[in-house]
Amino acid sequence: MSEILYLLVIPFVTGVIAIFLPKKIRPAIETVGILGSVGSLAYVTYVYVNLVSYTSSWWRIDGLSRFILLFCGVFGFLIALYSLKFMRRFDRLNEYYGYLLFTIGASFGAVLANNMILLVGFWGFLAFTLFMLITIGGPDRTGVSEAAKKTLIIVGGSDCLMILGIAILWLLTNSLRMDSMNVSVATSRLAAVAFVLLAVTSFAKAGAIPMHTWIPDCAEFAPIPVTAFLPASVDKLLGIYLLTRLVTDIFALNTAMKIFLLAVGAFTVLAAVMMALIQHDAKRLLAYHAVSQVGYMVLGIGTCNPIGIAGGLFHMLNNAIYKGCLFLTAGGVEHRTGTTHLDRLGGLAHYMPITFVSFIVAALAISGVPPLNGFTSKWLVYQGLIMLGNEGGKLWIIWLVAAMFGSALTLASFMKLGHAIFLGQTPDYEKAIGHKVREVHWSMWLPMVVLAGLCLAFGIFAFRLPLAKLIYPAVGKVFVPGFWQPTLATILILVGIVVGFIIYLMGRVKIREDSLPFIGGEVLPEEVRVTGTDFYNTIREMSILRTIYSKAEQKLFDIYELGKRAFLFLARGVSYAHVGVLTSYVAWIFLGLMAILFVVVRLR
Amino acid sequence: MVNSIPLFVVIPLGCAFILPVIGRRWERAGDLFANLVTVTLLGLAIWSVRFIRETTVYHVGGWGAVNGIPIGIYLVRDGLSIFMLVVVNLIAFVATLYSINYMEYFTDKTKYYTLFMLMLAGMNGVILTGDFFNLYVFIEIAAIASYALVAFGTEAEELEAAFKYQVMGSVGSGFILLGIILLYSYTGTLNMADVGRVILDKGASNLVWFVNVLFIVGFGLKAAVVPFHMWLPDAHPSAPAPISAMLSGVLIESIGVYPLTRIMYNVIGFDGVLSNILIVLAIISMMIGGLLALWQWDYKRLLAYSSISQVGYILLGIGLGTPLGLLGALFHLFNHSAFKGLLFLDSGSIVYSVGTRDLREMGELDRRMPITSKTNLVAAMSIAGVPPFNGFWSKLIIIIACIQAGRYGVAGWAILGSILTFAYILKAERYAFYGKAGRDVADVKESPPFMCIALIILAVICVVAGLMLLPNVRETILFPVVNTLTSGTEYIWRVLR
Repeated sequence: MSEILYLLVIPFVTGVIAIFLPKKIRPAIETVGILGSVGSLAYVTYVYVNLVSYTSSWWRIDGLSRFILLFCGVFGFLIALYSLKFMRRFDRLNEYYGYLLFTIGASFGAVLANNMILLVGFWGFLAFTLFMLITIGGPDRTGVSEAAKKTLIIVGGSDCLMILGIAILWLLTNSLRMDSMNVSVATSRLAAVAFVLLAVTSFAKAGAIPMHTWIPDCAEFAPIPVTAFLPASVDKLLGIYLLTRLVTDIFALNTAMKIFLLAVGAFTVLAAVMMALIQHDAKRLLAYHAVSQVGYMVLGIGTCNPIGIAGGLFHMLNNAIYKGCLFLTAGGVEHRTGTTHLDRLGGLAHYMPITFVSFIVAALAISGVPPLNGFTSKWLVYQGLIMLGNEGGKLWIIWLVAAMFGSALTLASFMKLGHAIFLGQTPDYEKAIGHKVREVHWSMWLPMVVLAGLCLAFGIFAFRLPLAKLIYPAVGKVFVPGFWQPTLATILILVGIVVGFIIYLMGRVKIREDSLPFIGGEVLPEEVRVTGTDFYNTIREMSILRTIYSKAEQKLFDIYELGKRAFLFLARGVSYAHVGVLTSYVAWIFLGLMAILFVVVRLR
Repeated sequence: MVNSIPLFVVIPLGCAFILPVIGRRWERAGDLFANLVTVTLLGLAIWSVRFIRETTVYHVGGWGAVNGIPIGIYLVRDGLSIFMLVVVNLIAFVATLYSINYMEYFTDKTKYYTLFMLMLAGMNGVILTGDFFNLYVFIEIAAIASYALVAFGTEAEELEAAFKYQVMGSVGSGFILLGIILLYSYTGTLNMADVGRVILDKGASNLVWFVNVLFIVGFGLKAAVVPFHMWLPDAHPSAPAPISAMLSGVLIESIGVYPLTRIMYNVIGFDGVLSNILIVLAIISMMIGGLLALWQWDYKRLLAYSSISQVGYILLGIGLGTPLGLLGALFHLFNHSAFKGLLFLDSGSIVYSVGTRDLREMGELDRRMPITSKTNLVAAMSIAGVPPFNGFWSKLIIIIACIQAGRYGVAGWAILGSILTFAYILKAERYAFYGKAGRDVADVKESPPFMCIALIILAVICVVAGLMLLPNVRETILFPVVNTLTSGTEYIWRVLR
């Protein structure tokens, strides 16, 4: 199919051109990067409009892959645009744009693939491009290289699990075509193993617990557009895409597997948001939310009923939008102030109003405040969970409570973030960075505004736009119980605001009043600055949480650290046998000979 | 073209004799002649690929069979030999190219090239021989040349490594020789095909089984299979980089894995017991090699341990014995030569420019040495098995082959080994290239041109070798090679015909 071929050729060819351009010619590299991403977006839109459904033994386009494809293209373009200014101070620009375009192409390929070998090929290649994009990172070379290594070990290692899962599927069905598989997990234990392996692969990509630990490190050290592009957006799209395929197409799940998914989802929501509460770096905080939100998607898809799956997919899309937006605003802040550390920030709303408004919209969306998009998708996920109860399950109440509680904590932590960065007391920026802080260049705020606008649009017109045009074609029309009319609600909210404003005007309150922060009645000394983070330290001090947090900070819950310790422990043991003494080495040879002889005598 | 067969041995052997004579007067003779020889041999090997479906026998000195009983020396060229010839001569070519600049560092290039040519003659001989005694002789030629090459730097550490290597290598050769002697006493012949015929007639007695064990230990030692691997982590890092590339890239495969495979499959006959032994040895090698690699801070030593681990993968595929497993194993053998050769050459470039093998002292080399860093990245991604680099495809095939053969546990070990590979190679990558520099690297320069060309050649191979699996290509190149093994003892009749 020539359309699909072009779709891959555009980003890959422009990527190769970008990579082989000398890194001195920055304008040329940037031009190629923008052209490549615009070309990809344009062509993917064309494909989206014209190619509704297509299946061959290699490729497949259907309702599900279509809209994910489109959004991979959209994010690719927005990030390339954003990078123009942001990436100016980075070295190796040719590689940056090259791998960015490769990532766009490979994510197209992964979504389009109908053959599982093709899928695993593109999937693994994405891990490689992510690795390379992280290494472009900032000045802290130790941190950057360690984060890149960790990411590739987790994501690439999960790729090996995917190979194993695919091999088992091939054994069971004698086919590598994803569209022709329908394996019931209940029939054989092997099928269950294959499902768990493939699900874990999708967790690693999307970032669900326990495979999530690369995301905070990656976010802290990679250039922000990279974080906004991959872990925050496209990796979510791909990971959840795979999970949806697994649940809806490839496998028929039994109750045990559903509970596995739901438990992972619920635990991810809660544990990650608890970690987010105590972070002091905006990037790390956002990264833990990026993990936490995956929990909702896994919960939605784990319900295995249409409304839950629709909710999970919609949430995936929404999350990609607002999380991308949030990372981009954090990038703007870092671009202007040189830091994302919350204690050193504050009061930026005054200097960077566009960034602030985008941030607020996205933050309200992620917290699930109506009428924004995050609310609708969470609502659908909740409905899916309640539906589980109607089907006769008993555990649904646990999942539902976890999801709602997580949502409340999300709001709490965004209060902290918004207050610490944009409100609160303003530190002396001129002293810290030597110049005034001002709004970022349009090429940087435009992507934020577009994404924030999408948050609004997808919320207010939830049922008419995204659900009807994107989600229902993928999973089929679902009946949504309960009463939620976002457009009506928005109008009511607006009316409320207008009324409030009128009352405010009539009250003749003094328009603006400068006052010092209230800290329990104490007088605030001149040189002390109250930051937005201190209040949240009390969470850390709670008795049970304190132990858990300290263990988490020693990375005792990090699968990468655990594996590393286990391997190094074993390696130390094995290295004791290598003393460097020749005679003992020769003795080993003879011992080996004896052992093999013994085995042969016993076996024959 | 039957007459082209002995050229693979004659040319390098002749060069090895001529070089010391000319080299006294003419310093550059070694560079020129060695490269000419390896280019010729590589060309010849690639040209031979057109005969990959045939089995051609060359009777040395024209001594054919009398009444169907071979009395002379046979050189046998079939799919597997041609495949191995391409691999060996390819790496040899790249290594000699690399040596032009790299060996400036050492004294007496002429002696170096002489030994190199001897080693190459030995390896090509092992691959082509159809006769047990010559197998032993060629193995010894290659091994003794490699002992001397390991000691080439003549520092204390290198001499010690060479000494250990020599002692343990001799133990291995002793086992091989003992096995050959016992086979001879049992069958009354040394021709490999003839030995196979007699075993088919008389049946495999306990003696043959004992010989099997001796061969597993002897060739296993040459191939550095755990627990017979202790010489390798000393020997391979001590040699000059192009020799390390040869040793790890092709020597352990051509005088260890290849003869073992040939004898097991084509002469004695492969069965379930052998399969289980090989698989267990392979898993142990994979895991222990990988774990020890993770523990190292010396880059070349890390790579040496990783060779042990990778040979485990090759052996795993061979041990499975299914066509898919063999395909994976042979393809991985090819890939391993390319990426491990490249990694060792890259480590050599680092030694050449930075002057250290300690990973903690390197760092920030991605800016200072762009070609080395890019090629090393390609090789590292290949060995880790990241698509689209070649190592991914062989890993994929081997894992699928494990599942297909119903050995799920083995597949699990292979996965674990693969994650271990990610861990150790990324450790090297992180410290050498992307991490913070451990010493002042401000005036580090990229290595000289011939070294860079050699690196680029291998990097390109690592990137494109996956194309060998395309439907038409694999049917013309890889399947005939696998067929020579899966057809088992039919080898006997093809040679004795």
